[in-house]
Amino acid sequence: MLDERVRLLAKEEVALDFFWTRFKAPGIAAEGIPGQFVEIQVGEGETPFLRLPLSICAVDRQAGSCDLLFEAVGPKTEALKGMGIGDETACLGPLGRGFQAPPGGRTALLVGGGIGIPPLLFWGEVLRAEGFRTTLLAGARTANKHLPDSLLTVDAQKVRRATDDGSMGHAGLVTDLLAEELEGKDEYAVFTCGPHGMMAAVAALCAEREVDCQVSLEEYMACGIGICVGCVVEVIPEMGEGGSDYERYRRVCVDGPVFDARRVRWEGR
Amino acid sequence: MSDLSVDFAGVQLANPVLLASGTCNYGQELLPLVDLARLGGLVSKTITPLPRAGNPPPRVVETPAGMLNSIGLQNPGLEDFARDKWPFLASLGTQVVVNIAGDSPEEFAAMAARLEELEGIAALEINISCPNLKQGGMLFGCQPAAAAEVIGAVRRATGRPVIAKLTPNVTDIAEIARAVAGAGADGISLINTLVGMAIDVDRRRPVLGNVTGGLSGPAIKPVALAMVWKVHQAVELPLMGIGGIGSARDALEFILAGATAVQVGTANFVQPGAGEQIVDDLQAYCEENGVAAIGNLVGRLEI
Repeated sequence: MLDERVRLLAKEEVALDFFWTRFKAPGIAAEGIPGQFVEIQVGEGETPFLRLPLSICAVDRQAGSCDLLFEAVGPKTEALKGMGIGDETACLGPLGRGFQAPPGGRTALLVGGGIGIPPLLFWGEVLRAEGFRTTLLAGARTANKHLPDSLLTVDAQKVRRATDDGSMGHAGLVTDLLAEELEGKDEYAVFTCGPHGMMAAVAALCAEREVDCQVSLEEYMACGIGICVGCVVEVIPEMGEGGSDYERYRRVCVDGPVFDARRVRWEGR
Repeated sequence: MSDLSVDFAGVQLANPVLLASGTCNYGQELLPLVDLARLGGLVSKTITPLPRAGNPPPRVVETPAGMLNSIGLQNPGLEDFARDKWPFLASLGTQVVVNIAGDSPEEFAAMAARLEELEGIAALEINISCPNLKQGGMLFGCQPAAAAEVIGAVRRATGRPVIAKLTPNVTDIAEIARAVAGAGADGISLINTLVGMAIDVDRRRPVLGNVTGGLSGPAIKPVALAMVWKVHQAVELPLMGIGGIGSARDALEFILAGATAVQVGTANFVQPGAGEQIVDDLQAYCEENGVAAIGNLVGRLEI
């Protein structure tokens, strides 16, 4: 983990308001693993004030670069979108605990919604390098919010899309696709990142079918390094744990962002 | 070399820059990023007699030039702190002030007495100002008599310096300052956060799970400065200035207003190295301006 000066090398709008960026960030590129994130500074002044947490989408260890993908929806992401090629900023990372490889040669189902997809792209790449088959199930509100094939259909990754309005792929929820895939004969492991409701539905489907599921959570976050204890999720104590009140909430930034879906208390949010 | 060291209520600080309670947890997480031994000290996150879960999320949200938090004192409790957190803190090579909170004067006193058994604690900071609790917390810090009762009870239970941490959510902070001074406090930290709120208009719901929270960051610096200045005029005690400090110039404003030392808080969330940078920049400021000792600047505001 380090706080390094990073330089914007490339930027492209890859879907409506979705921006792919590549930063020269040798330290983060050297250490980053899928599921980890960075806290990037997007302004020098006092508003926006806190840094912007973003999942790592890809790293190139040899080139020393790190790719970040974000949706321009608020002051911080708009400020990041406004950075020019060659501009520098501070970036803290890599942060958090990433995805864990499942045991054995299984098929990984990567279930992403909206801007939750980028960490799954990085994870898919690593899983395939380790001999896993990967299927990406991508959900979005509408066709122009879907990331292009150039980012998704890499190696032998199978890609299926869903849209809420039926303008691309399956008309309906990405969890419909997951339910279909889980009918197959392989041994599956599921990895998901996206809106809370979607992840809760994915977790419920997996629990019902006794399929391992790891979720990459998002929560309002300040520091990203565990010192503010702000970005917490309520967890279900594991067997044998003391169940101290102190352990009821875990920090998404350092105890996650990736959690075993069975440990997350999904109700109530 | 200008002298950055200061004496705060008998505690020798290598420089006047500490990290504020609740913004550095128990030190461990900052180790890869910050050389804590270069700071004047740190104030550990509030501990309570028993473990506390804290408030439901969301607990933090950004606001203009700052943020709101409603953590609710999630902490491992006194005994786990003594066993799991203190040995590491004691090894840091910097002054560590331990911040405590209880539900009654008796609880505060019992904690102070138990902490007497731990070696190396520089001072106790008494949290009578947390805005995120249903009982205790800020209620003690809002009434002079209640504030004095807590500080008096701690005073009788410990030989260590007692620093009262005050809330700005009061009509007259000088009155509270005089009350804790009269009860035997050795120093005062101010300010804790200002009660605030953010609303999600589309959902017509509060953003924070606890509805209200505490505002911190640059947004509160002018309020904090005015209160430090006011309290400096009201009592003889040394003051720790807190509130939106992110640079050496911010720190100098507090020192001129009457603070002997300062605490860097929310800035740690944006620049984990903020405290170290402030130490370096204070040194440079003193050299460039012929200030032989930073202590000479305390309260030297000219009006």
